[in-house]
Amino acid sequence: MSRAVWSPVSANMPEHELIGRAQAGDVGAFEALADVHADRLYALALRFLGDGAEAEDVLQETLLRAWRGIRGFEGRAMVFTWLYRIAVNESNRALERRERRRANVPVDEHAIAVPAPSREGPASQAERRELRQALRLAISQLSAPCRTALVLRDIEGLSTREAAEIAGVGEAAFKSRLHQARLRVRALVGDAALVASAG
Amino acid sequence: MRLRKRLDDHAWSQEHLSHYVEGDMSWRSRRRLELHADECPDCSLGIRALRALLRVLGGASERAEARAPAGIFDRVRAEAARAEVDAGESIEP
Repeated sequence: MSRAVWSPVSANMPEHELIGRAQAGDVGAFEALADVHADRLYALALRFLGDGAEAEDVLQETLLRAWRGIRGFEGRAMVFTWLYRIAVNESNRALERRERRRANVPVDEHAIAVPAPSREGPASQAERRELRQALRLAISQLSAPCRTALVLRDIEGLSTREAAEIAGVGEAAFKSRLHQARLRVRALVGDAALVASAG
Repeated sequence: MRLRKRLDDHAWSQEHLSHYVEGDMSWRSRRRLELHADECPDCSLGIRALRALLRVLGGASERAEARAPAGIFDRVRAEAARAEVDAGESIEP
């Protein structure tokens, strides 16, 4: 890698200019480019992994890979899509590493936050907590392609086209994975618990 | 055109409940599933369960706003510099 440089970046510099400067080795331009998406990338990793420390490591690796790969960015995808794709790959890699370690990692309470009704009693709070845990466990048991589809489409709320592009598959294949993932989560969590959450 | 009941309606409907709630079905398939679900408590419950699942997962996105850890770019810079030093180069911030 050539020597990195750091020059001042104005707040309203257009994205294409930031890309050009980052590709020329300007760290400040790269950070301005990536900073816009950093919160969403971290949230994405957190949803995959359910663990704050692991999500932070994934975010760091994602940004590091993006920095190293920025010169190869050709602009065919949006910066957001490109960064998301790296983050999804890194999250799945982290999950595979975890699987190999077979460690029982404590998961972040807020990774899946079940919406609460405006007024609820202690019993309902306990049910929400149980549902949250069941969902987290079910999602962690999905295959990487199915988990990716569910997180991108149903949790992140991306369109099928965007999510399929990030996952690196066609829309038909993506939908097939998504439907498969939902049915698997439904089977693991159970209809009664899901329907009860709707009140 | 009138649809007739088929022996495999239940298994077929169970496999296509997610397509149904997504609206990812032809009119004819949708009608087939609805006719079956009208008479099948399992499939009718399955539709409600999947709708609830999508609501819960969608709500998770809105409520679980997360902030990237402070200083993340410092860590990235440090890691990039360390790797470059390892590779015999240097970084000048």
